[in-house]
Amino acid sequence: MMTLLATAPFYGLPSYLFVSALLFAIGFFGVLLRKNTLVIYMCLELMLLASTLALVAFSKFNGTLDGNVFVFFVLTIAAAEVAVGLAIIVALFRQRHTVQVEELNQLKH
Amino acid sequence: MSTELLKAVAASNDWWALGPEMTLAVGALLLLVLEIFSPKKDLRFVPPLAVFTLGLTLITVVANFDKTWGGEALFGGLIRLSASGQIARVFFLVSSLLVCFLGTICLPRARVPRVEFYHIVLVVTAALMLLAQSNHFVMFFVALETVTIGFYILVSYYRERTLSLEAGLKYLVLGALSSAILLFGIVLIYGAVGRVVVDGVVHNGFEFGTVFNFLRANPDNFLATAGALLVIGGLAFKIGAFPFQIWVPDVYQGAPTPVTAFLAVSSKAAGFAVLLLLVRVFAPLQAVLVPVLSLLASATILFGNLSALTQRNTKRLMGLSGVSHAGYLLIGVVASFSQSAAAGAVWFYLFTYLLASMAVFGVMAYVAGPDDSGEELEHFERLAKDRPFLGTVLAIGIGSLAGIPPLAGFMGKLLLFVAAFQAHLYGLLAVAVVGVVISIFYYFGWIRAAFFESWSPPAPGTAPVIHPVAAAATWAGIATLAVLAIATVVLGFFPWPLTSWLLR
Repeated sequence: MMTLLATAPFYGLPSYLFVSALLFAIGFFGVLLRKNTLVIYMCLELMLLASTLALVAFSKFNGTLDGNVFVFFVLTIAAAEVAVGLAIIVALFRQRHTVQVEELNQLKH
Repeated sequence: MSTELLKAVAASNDWWALGPEMTLAVGALLLLVLEIFSPKKDLRFVPPLAVFTLGLTLITVVANFDKTWGGEALFGGLIRLSASGQIARVFFLVSSLLVCFLGTICLPRARVPRVEFYHIVLVVTAALMLLAQSNHFVMFFVALETVTIGFYILVSYYRERTLSLEAGLKYLVLGALSSAILLFGIVLIYGAVGRVVVDGVVHNGFEFGTVFNFLRANPDNFLATAGALLVIGGLAFKIGAFPFQIWVPDVYQGAPTPVTAFLAVSSKAAGFAVLLLLVRVFAPLQAVLVPVLSLLASATILFGNLSALTQRNTKRLMGLSGVSHAGYLLIGVVASFSQSAAAGAVWFYLFTYLLASMAVFGVMAYVAGPDDSGEELEHFERLAKDRPFLGTVLAIGIGSLAGIPPLAGFMGKLLLFVAAFQAHLYGLLAVAVVGVVISIFYYFGWIRAAFFESWSPPAPGTAPVIHPVAAAATWAGIATLAVLAIATVVLGFFPWPLTSWLLR
């Protein structure tokens, strides 16, 4: 394990930020373009995780621990959001028998 | 980490400063516990207990209004009590009291559990009050998410109605999207500021003071500017500013009426309380933020007013007209970059908006039948004849929202426009005046529906449509609506007590 860590190439802050920005963009466009509510929900979580990755990277390179601590808050909030969100999706599925966005459009006049 | 540091952090934990929020949290938990131990089906104590908790908290906040701990940061820099934070506390408590009042009208008509509604309203109120006093991005984000997740539940509260659930899903997806954008902005700011050591104490980019000092030294840092723009974008979702307003009409229509009022008043005010806080933090970025916010404000005013013109559904109408009010308030935020008095004007406008909107929503709650998401302007026909009291309250509320001279809404707009004039925002002022003129059309369409009978020939072969007659108001409802209407009229003639209190 130690040798593996020692031989691993050193990645700088920009590479972490690039991956984070990429994940954020995938999540963002997924929310806008996908039609299945559950997939949209996964994309939302992806956006939160992109922020988490950037947070950890910044925390490591800035030398302040607060970024790592904030990650726990973000994870807790994401968990609460998922609990409420899935409850709403399940309740809606029981009423309408669909999770496709284009069929959930009764609120349009 | 040395224990000295932990001791220093613990010494700044002044729990008395958070007394109001803790009272609300205890009250919220008490409701749930009492529900378990109360005999079945006898939950009449719940709304009075919630109102009592809110009222008690309001009295303590008003009695200790000047006790702000010298404006020092408490809890290791998480919280800073200030005069504007105290104003925000009073605002959110008054608003939640009125939401509970609307809840007592609407909830008994639907077959839904009631305790949880008041529980969540109390928790959300506490989080709103913490949000307005936060001094640290972690505190800010956690409080904001507590509010937002509470609202997801409240919007989809009628869980046997597809419209309410659909509104909840839309609010959930777009709310979570805006939260993620906001979080990414916070992370970028944290990364840009880095590690700052002042007098041997390590500071980081989550503290508002550190961020301000960093931005003052490096106003053209790309990462921090991008972060600030993302934070403002996330907040624009919450206040329903263009182009992030797409959720407003749908969510307002599907949500239960008390929740719509809560969203329209408290959620929007929370966005502006936070924007006024962040204007001071992001002040060195004026060169970027002022044009962006000005563009946002003018587009919001025009979009809100133009799209409200064609609406017949009253809740969508309130939502879209609320979008335009957010636009007027954004002008105040832009003005507060150079005129600190503009913050007082924004708060005065929010107070007048609170009184007028709650009066209108109260009347809407009485007029609506069991299904409150299909309420159209036609349902208000003959209201002035059948229920003259409700008709009068509606006219005063709508008049104040439109900004008709003797009413409070006019004074609110006047103060806001004066602040914008002093800040030399002439272009924005012109857009706002055009917006006010457009808004008079749809507001008066509503008043005409309530006061003047319009006869239209019944289409052949269809039965005449009979609209439900408005429910009779209880004495408590009449008293509350009367207080709201009288306050709206009195504040229009004598705004000075409130303005001098807000601007001191």
